[in-house]
Amino acid sequence: MKHIDLQTDIGKIKLKNPVITASGTFGYGREFEELIDLNRLGAIIVKGLSLKPAKGNPPPRIVETSCGMLNAIGLENIGIEAFIKQKLPFLEQLSTPTLVNIYGKSVEEYADLAARIDEVEGIAGIEINISCPNVKTGGIAFGVDPESAAEVVRAVRTRTTKPLMVKLSPNVTDITEIARSAEDAGADSLSLINTITGMAIDIETRHPKLANITGGLSGPAIKPVALRMVWQVAQTVKIPVIGIGGIMKAEDALEFLIAGAVAVQVGTANFVNPCSTIEITEGIEAFLAERKISSVRDIIGTLEV
Amino acid sequence: MFQEKNQVLWNENISGSYYKIGLTCNKGYSDAHPGQFITLRFGDDIARLLRRPFSIHRLITKDDCIKGIELLYKVVGTCTQKLSSYKKGNIIDLLGPLGNGFVIPDNVRRIFIVAGGIGVAPMFFLASSIQKTGIDLSECQVFIGGRSKHDILCKDDFLSMGITADITTDDGSAGKKGLITVPLESEIKKNRPDIIYACGPPAMLNAVAQIAEKYATPCQISIETIMACGMGACLGCAVESKTDPDKYLHVCKNGPVFDSGLLRI
Repeated sequence: MKHIDLQTDIGKIKLKNPVITASGTFGYGREFEELIDLNRLGAIIVKGLSLKPAKGNPPPRIVETSCGMLNAIGLENIGIEAFIKQKLPFLEQLSTPTLVNIYGKSVEEYADLAARIDEVEGIAGIEINISCPNVKTGGIAFGVDPESAAEVVRAVRTRTTKPLMVKLSPNVTDITEIARSAEDAGADSLSLINTITGMAIDIETRHPKLANITGGLSGPAIKPVALRMVWQVAQTVKIPVIGIGGIMKAEDALEFLIAGAVAVQVGTANFVNPCSTIEITEGIEAFLAERKISSVRDIIGTLEV
Repeated sequence: MFQEKNQVLWNENISGSYYKIGLTCNKGYSDAHPGQFITLRFGDDIARLLRRPFSIHRLITKDDCIKGIELLYKVVGTCTQKLSSYKKGNIIDLLGPLGNGFVIPDNVRRIFIVAGGIGVAPMFFLASSIQKTGIDLSECQVFIGGRSKHDILCKDDFLSMGITADITTDDGSAGKKGLITVPLESEIKKNRPDIIYACGPPAMLNAVAQIAEKYATPCQISIETIMACGMGACLGCAVESKTDPDKYLHVCKNGPVFDSGLLRI
């Protein structure tokens, strides 16, 4: 087989392949060490971090639904300082870049996180989470309004020179409006979509199946919605777009690339098959080889309508 | 921890909706502990997306070499229904061994095992491990409870190891009618055990934990929650800690076996 070039760029971040692990589905990376070669990943995005450790939501936190799952973890994490001390040294040894997903309860918290991360060499970039549907303050509060989103991005931008990826919520009327707003505020790339707010009810007890009542829907069930939004946003902005939503296999990832994503994030699939990311990368390579396409860049944004 | 495609060695209906399935496994499973679990993925079906956790019922060994693992399961929904249709030679995606199992302290001699319904599944593996440590099993007792006689499993397995078995059922169709905790407490009063191991429904575990506390007896319980990854990545399987209000414990990573005093069940 002829060598296939899988390299892709997210602005200044060079990736050896377009397959990234989605925040919240890959722990702090090391959890998967025994099962896959972490050096074969395009990038690792770790669990969403806050300034202080966060306990997260009460259980039950997850429920399976048709072709997907709802989660309301509530951004449980060890906090930025513990991450830098305990988790980052392992990640730094890898040839795969690490991006840190951050969320705050206020604009200041986002900015303070960015300033702290700016001091740390081993972190390749920041993914700003303005789209978690499971925490009451912070997260989604900033992601559904173009002006609030811009305010967070601007505040973070002034405190760091690291590449900024902004993770968008699908729980909005017009995602291109938020996308444009984040781009204008200084985002280097956009990742989408985060989970879609949903719920499930136990008809016997008449209680919601999640203690948080609502949760974020992920998995194959959301892929068509995600794909549509990625396609819309890719046509709207000039900065790179990273596709996320229900990617289980190489064919799913290829759809996102054709729709205009320069890379993809694999999330829920990591739970179902911990080797998903590697299998998807190999599948993309095989697809390109069979069609004699020498570079993955030659397929990005090639949708014909 | 290994993720492999393994072969079904057998899949037998043992009574009612209960089955035992044998699977080939990685050699590394020879270090598996009782109470540890595995997860299975049933083909590429995405309608039921998540893997399903099962505790290890038995290590299948031949001449001290590991040949596979056996699971004891009950058909309760779509996935276990599908599992029951697997035939010898079929391939299944197996991830494990996962979590922390039961710990058998050096100084224990008199051991009580409490198993409710399908909660008996990891307890046979536990009893086998206890036997290997050289503890006199005639000092040990097992309490098996279920809704009816059809839900009383593995009694003969324990008896053949020399462990006394107390049976209780909700309808009285086998053993004594009533809760498993009744004979448990009366035996504790007669002759205090060094440790109690329990697995079963939450209400039973809660009652056993209270009895253990009342008689100041160490107690380890194996609990089950819904989980997505089984390996500490999703944080979906959170349970309330009794000792640290600022943190949840996670069943897949900190458990599924816990000291009963650590958990708010």
